[in-house]
Amino acid sequence: MAQLISSGADSHMHDFDAHVHAVEEDLEYYRAKRFESRLLFMARRGIVTFYDLVRAADGNTQVEEQPSTAGLEMEQRIRALEDRLDAYVKEIAVTSIRGDKADVVTEDNRKERGDYDSFFRLAKREHQGGSLEKRVEQLNAELAEGEMLLRIVQRAMIQRGLSTQTKFEQRRLDQSQPGPWNGARIVARAWVDPGFKHNLIEHGREAVRELDIPPGRLGKLGVAESTDEVHNVVVCTLCSCYPYDLLGDTPWWYKNDSYKQRVVRDPRGTLKDMFGLEIPAGQQIHVHDSTSDIRWMVLPLRPPGTEGLSEDELARLVTRDSLIGTAMPLRPGEAGPTNG
Amino acid sequence: MASLEHQLEPGDRAKVKLENTEGNPRTPAYIRGKTGVVVSLHGRIANPTDHRGIYPPLYTLLFDVADVFGGDRQDKLYVDLHEDWLDRVVSG
Repeated sequence: MAQLISSGADSHMHDFDAHVHAVEEDLEYYRAKRFESRLLFMARRGIVTFYDLVRAADGNTQVEEQPSTAGLEMEQRIRALEDRLDAYVKEIAVTSIRGDKADVVTEDNRKERGDYDSFFRLAKREHQGGSLEKRVEQLNAELAEGEMLLRIVQRAMIQRGLSTQTKFEQRRLDQSQPGPWNGARIVARAWVDPGFKHNLIEHGREAVRELDIPPGRLGKLGVAESTDEVHNVVVCTLCSCYPYDLLGDTPWWYKNDSYKQRVVRDPRGTLKDMFGLEIPAGQQIHVHDSTSDIRWMVLPLRPPGTEGLSEDELARLVTRDSLIGTAMPLRPGEAGPTNG
Repeated sequence: MASLEHQLEPGDRAKVKLENTEGNPRTPAYIRGKTGVVVSLHGRIANPTDHRGIYPPLYTLLFDVADVFGGDRQDKLYVDLHEDWLDRVVSG
């Protein structure tokens, strides 16, 4: 029985080429679809103009020196590259203007980046292949450029009064503890946007890019939607598989045999005795036992009395346990003021 | 990513093997020897972070808790299982 640890750093990488290829693909996706298309969006509307960018750069176009990874084993170099990509993706989310002064909706972004019309799509950069060393080097250079542009855009946004250093810092802080908050945002979006929900259930991880959340790399994401008739609960009886790369670490009891063995045998009794959660007799309980190839999350039922709440307010009702199915989401009034 | 080659379809009944020494180890003991219904096909999933190579096609099968553990409970188990662990059950 393979006991997975949360960082995944102990499991060996088997296919360097596949990992580097994934970074190439993801970097281009985030650059073209999440970041630079947003930049064009801002330029078209005069929110942040090209002149603002040049002013903000003010000669500061040096790329930031990163500790060289050249002397390391290829596996470590690739991991460092993957971490750098994750940091880039998170910084893109920090640089979003949604919810600030400019009125931007998802639909606009989708249109702008060419989801509906390929005419609007930014050209993708070519990756020529070659040795792993060369590809890793090229990706590091591309990421360095992307990081530089992000810094300039952030400076321009501050100079235009669209954001502040403090706001960026706050967002970085939120990003550094993504875990259940990612899951909460995913659930809240699914509650308000049927198109997103459909996409999430059909395509799993791929759908979460929509929320500037890195989709992670651990197998497929399964989404079990709870309804009035069905309450879902997730377990991994063989070890403790969970989409932790996306939703954060599991609670201690998730890895515990008493939970794992009991919940498949007597789901109703387990939820009641271990978690104080009583599922009505008319509602079936579906237990999902994961493999590492599909990691399940629960899409809980939207609580009653939440009509008219904003997406952000809804997200604050979603708890870590409700993503596993051992608790219901909070009711309005039960939620704290900060991200749990 | 669903592979074109797979032996079972949603709606098929399949029995989980009791033993499969050459197969992958990811089949829970409690479900071995039990019969369930295929509810979805996920294909062959590349998961290089977790294991070498690619396992045979993966399915989600539905079981009654009562069939697996006895009792008269209404609740259900959804278990993800690879094809090399499954034998089709011909109804009749």
